[in-house]
Amino acid sequence: MKFLEDMDCAFPKNLQEALKLMADEKSRGRPIAGGTDLMVQWSSGVLPMPERAIDLSGLPELKGVSENTDSVVIGAAVTHAEMRRSPIVQVHLPSLAQAAATIGGAQIQARGTIAGSVANASPAGDLGPSLLITNGRVVVASKAGEREIELAKFFLGYRKIDLQPDELIVRFILPKIHAGCRESFRKLGPRAAQAISKVMGSYRGSAKGKEVKDFAVALGSVAPIPIRLPEFEQWIVGKEIGKKVLDEAEQRVAAMIKPIDDIRSTAEYRQWVSGRIVRGFLEELVAE
Amino acid sequence: MTVAENSRKGLVGRGVSRVDASDKVRGLARYADDLDVPGCWHGVIVRSPVSRGTLRSVKLDPACDASKAVVVTAQDIPGPNIVVMHDRAMPLLAFDEIRYIGEPLAVVAAPTRRQAIEVAEHVRIEIDELPAILTTAELVRKFKAGELKTGVEQNAPRGVGGFAGGAPESPDVLCSQSIVKGDVEKGFAEADQIVEAEYTAGHQEQLYIEPQGLVAIPQKDGGILIEGSMQCPYYIQHELHEALNLPAGKLRVRQAAVGGAFGGKEEFPSMLAGYCALPAMKAKKPVKIVYDRHQDILYTTKRHPVWVRHKTGVKKDGTITALKVDFLLDGGAYLTLSDVVMYRGILHAAMGYRCDHVFVNGIVGRTNTFPSGAFRGFGAPQAIWGVESHVDALARACGMTPHEFRLKNCLRVGDTTPTGMVLRDSVGSPAVLEEALKTSRFADKFAKCSRGRKGARKWYGIGLSFFAHGSGFTGDGESKIGTKVALDLGFENASPVVFIRVSSTEMGQGALTVLSQMAADGLGVDLDRVRYPLPDTGLVPNSGPTVASRTTMVVGSTVYSAACKLRQRLEESAGRPIAGSKSFEQIASKYLAEHGPLRVVEAFKLPDTVRWDQATFRGDAYPAFAWGCNVAEVEVDTRTLEIKVKKVTACFDVGRVINPVLVKGQVEGGLTQALGYAVMEKIGIKGGRFDANRMQTYVIPTALDVPEYDITFVEYPYEFAAPGAKGVGEMPMDGLAPAIANAIEAATGIRMTDLPITPEKLFKEVTTKCAKDAK
Repeated sequence: MKFLEDMDCAFPKNLQEALKLMADEKSRGRPIAGGTDLMVQWSSGVLPMPERAIDLSGLPELKGVSENTDSVVIGAAVTHAEMRRSPIVQVHLPSLAQAAATIGGAQIQARGTIAGSVANASPAGDLGPSLLITNGRVVVASKAGEREIELAKFFLGYRKIDLQPDELIVRFILPKIHAGCRESFRKLGPRAAQAISKVMGSYRGSAKGKEVKDFAVALGSVAPIPIRLPEFEQWIVGKEIGKKVLDEAEQRVAAMIKPIDDIRSTAEYRQWVSGRIVRGFLEELVAE
Repeated sequence: MTVAENSRKGLVGRGVSRVDASDKVRGLARYADDLDVPGCWHGVIVRSPVSRGTLRSVKLDPACDASKAVVVTAQDIPGPNIVVMHDRAMPLLAFDEIRYIGEPLAVVAAPTRRQAIEVAEHVRIEIDELPAILTTAELVRKFKAGELKTGVEQNAPRGVGGFAGGAPESPDVLCSQSIVKGDVEKGFAEADQIVEAEYTAGHQEQLYIEPQGLVAIPQKDGGILIEGSMQCPYYIQHELHEALNLPAGKLRVRQAAVGGAFGGKEEFPSMLAGYCALPAMKAKKPVKIVYDRHQDILYTTKRHPVWVRHKTGVKKDGTITALKVDFLLDGGAYLTLSDVVMYRGILHAAMGYRCDHVFVNGIVGRTNTFPSGAFRGFGAPQAIWGVESHVDALARACGMTPHEFRLKNCLRVGDTTPTGMVLRDSVGSPAVLEEALKTSRFADKFAKCSRGRKGARKWYGIGLSFFAHGSGFTGDGESKIGTKVALDLGFENASPVVFIRVSSTEMGQGALTVLSQMAADGLGVDLDRVRYPLPDTGLVPNSGPTVASRTTMVVGSTVYSAACKLRQRLEESAGRPIAGSKSFEQIASKYLAEHGPLRVVEAFKLPDTVRWDQATFRGDAYPAFAWGCNVAEVEVDTRTLEIKVKKVTACFDVGRVINPVLVKGQVEGGLTQALGYAVMEKIGIKGGRFDANRMQTYVIPTALDVPEYDITFVEYPYEFAAPGAKGVGEMPMDGLAPAIANAIEAATGIRMTDLPITPEKLFKEVTTKCAKDAK
C-alpha cells in the first residue's frame, strides 16, 4: 500500500513551468487541481497512487471565463462554483451552468474544476452532455505548442481521453447558444442533491411553432462516454411535435443506447428513461 | 397526580436547550479520534478474503521485519476465544472455520498506522475454501422448500407454544420462536376470504457521522481501560472480560463523546474493543483503532434483511379472523443478538389489531455474511413494514378504505395483544390514528388519489400506517437486568451540585439533557445544579444499555425518583423545603459540611402485575407500548417514475413528553432515516461482500429530499414510572416505509413489496402490469 505522504507534488508557478515539468518523463506527474476525484480515488485504492502530482490549481493561465462574439472561453481550472455563478455562462451556456450546479455539494463545487471533471472521464461526469451539445472544442497544450480538438472526439472510451502524457488541458471554447434557441439539462439521480447520475441529458435546439428546426442532444451515464445522438438529431429535424412523433422519438432514443446495470440503476430503466428525458426536451422545445 | 402538576412548573415538558450543545458546536467535545493518548499505537485488522473456509494458518512472512510491531492471532487470546453475546459462539478471532468475508483473523499493532498496515500486508493466510450461503433469497428458497429446520417444526405440534433461542437449531437456523394465540386454523375457517402476500427488505447501514473508534489502555494493575465511541459501556465489559482473562472489574470502560450510533454501536464495539485490547496487552502499549468510512461500511453490522409472509383471514365486514405470519431474518454468520431482534420482530409483526387467532413464526437464518446487528427499531421496522403494507391489502379485499379498516380493527383499551396482554393503561390508540387522520385530512385526500390515471403528468397518493412500539426490554426484562442509578451530592468549585451516575450514553439523542431535566425537577432546582459526566464503569452503576427506547422511560424515571429521594433527605435534615436553586445551595452546602458527600442509589422496578413467560411468549410483552400513526403523501413523476415524498404527517403517543423541542428533532431525524429505508438506501451482497463501501454508493437522504413534516403528540403517560415517559427513540423508524408504499399504491395502482422502492423497481412493475393489461 502506498501512502499520500510518499507522493511528491510539484507546484509550478505558471503554465510554461507546468508544461516543462510534463515534457520530461522524470519530472512528469499526475495533474491535479481540485482533487475532488483524485484524492478519494487514491485513498480508497480505486486508482493507484502516482509517484508525483502536479498542482495546477494556482496557474493564472488556466483561470477565468471570457467571451468573444460566438463563443465562451473557460479556463481549465475554473471551478464548478465559478461556472454556475458566472453571468456569461448563465446567459450563453445555460445547460452548463445548470449542470455545474448539480455536482456534489458546495464544497465539491468550490474545488472541482471543469478540466478535472473532463479528465476524470467518468461516464457519469456531470458536465459531458452540456459540453457536447455546444459543438465545442478543447485546447490542450504541451511544450511543443497547442492542439485543438472537437469535444465530441476528445472522449475516447471508458475513462480515456485524447490527451498525450506531456499534454495539459488549458481551456474550453464553447459556442454560445443562438438567439431563439433553447437548451437545458436534466439529471436523474438517486436523491435530490449530492447525487451521481443514473441518467442525464442536455439539449440545444430551436423550433418554429411545433416544427423542430435544430436539435442537438447528448446523454450521460448510458455509455462508457457521454454521447450525442446524431442519427436521432437528423431524424427529428423538420418533424412537427405531436403525440405520435414523441412516442416514436422515445422509442428511437431507447433503441439507440445500450446502458448497463450498476449500483445506481438498471440497464432497462436507463434505456426507457433516456427516451422519456428526450421526450421531455422536445416538449419543452416547442412549448409556448 | 400532584407530581405531574408540580413538574409542569418545572423543567419536564419544557424545550430547554441541549446541555451538550455548546461544547459540540464549539468543537470542544472529544470523540474517539480526538483522544490524545501518549505513546499510543495503532491497530490494523487482517481479515478473511473468503466467505467460508477452513483456516489452515495465519503467519507473518518471516522476511518481514516486525520488530516494531505486534501481531496477535487466536493463539494469543488469554481466555476463551469468544465474544460472549447471546450464545457464546462467536470467536473474537477466527481460528478454525471462517464464516464470512472480512472476519477478523489477526490484528497488527505498531507505533504508527502506516507501520501497522505495512506489517499487516505481510501476514500470510492459508484457507481451504468451503461452499457458502450468501443471500437472504437462498434462505427464503430453503424455507419454502421446507429445508430450514426450526425447533418449532422439529419438536412441537402446531399451536403449542414456542422455543427460546440458544444454540443453532440447524446449520442454517440460528434460532426460532413462535407466538400462538387461539387457533389460527379455526380462524381461517371462520373467514370469508384469505389474503396472502410476501414483503421483503434488505440490509440498512446505520451511517452514523462518527465511525467506530476505540482505544485500549493497559493499566498499572494489569487491567485494561477501553475508551471511545459506544452505546453500552457495560456490554464491552460483559462480552469481553472472559476472552481477555480479566475479572470484570479490571476491564474498565469509559465513553467518549459519540457522534451517532443508531444501534450500530450497541454490540459491535465489544468486538472492536477486543481488537484493541489484545495487541495492547501483548505490546503493553495503548492501542487505538479508528475505522475510516470504507471499513466502517464494509465491516460493521447492518439492519437484518427480512422476508415476511402474511396469511390473513377476513370477514366481509372487515373483521380479522386469523393472522398467520412467517418472519424470517437474515442473521448473517453469527447469532450475536439476533434472537432478541427477531423476538421484537415477531412481537410487532401482528400487533396493532384485534384478532383472536394468531400464529407468528420467527426464524433467524444463517448466511455467510457479516453478522446483522442492532439498528434503531431492532426488528420492529421490518415487522411493521410487512403488517402495515398487508393491512392495506386487507382493507381493499374487504372493500373498505385503509383508514376505515384500521379504525374498525385497531386495538383499544380492554383488547388483548397477540401474546395475551390486556391493554389497560397508557393506550394512545385510537387517539394517534384519529389525530393523524384529522390533521392530514386523510379521507378527503385519499378520495383524490391518482391510482395510475392515464395522461397525468404527476400521480398523487396518500397512505398511512398505524403501529405500536414496545417501550423498554421485552417482558420482565427490565426487572431482570436490575437497572441501577446513583446520584452523588458533592462540591464543584465550592458550590454544591448533583452528579448523575448512570451507564446510559448520550449519542446524539438528547439523553444528557432529558435526564438532567428530570433530575433537576426531582430535586426542585435549576439545570445548572446538575452534572451528567460521561459514563465510566469504574464510577457508575449499571443502568443497562442505551437501547430499546428505554433510557428516558426507565433510566430517566429512576433518576427522577432518586432525585426526589435525595431532595427528601436534604429537606429532612434541614427541616425546611428546597425552593429553587438558592435554597438548595444553602441546604446542600450545610449538609455537605456536616455529613460529607451523599449518594442515593435507586433501582427500577416493574409493577408486580407484570406477567411474562419467556418460554411460551405469553403475557405482558412490554412494560408499555408507545403508539404512532404516519401519513405519507407522495408524488410520482409519470415521465420518469421518480418518487417524491412531499409531506409526512405523524402523530405519536410517547407518554409524557419531557422535552418537546428535542423529541420533535429526534422524530424528524428518525422519519428521515425511515425515508431512506423506504425509497433510497440499498446495500447488496456481491460475492459475499457488501456492494457499497462509501457515501457515494450508499445513498441516504439529503436536506433536499426531506418532506414537509407535521408532527404532533398525544400524551398518555406511563402510569408506573413518573414523570411518565414511554419510549420514543425507535418509533419514528417504524412505520414510514409502509405508509409510503401505501401512498405509492394510491398514486400508481401498483403494490410495491420490496424495499427500497426505487423508480427502477416501479418501472419493472409498470411494465409487467402494462403487458398484463394488454392481454
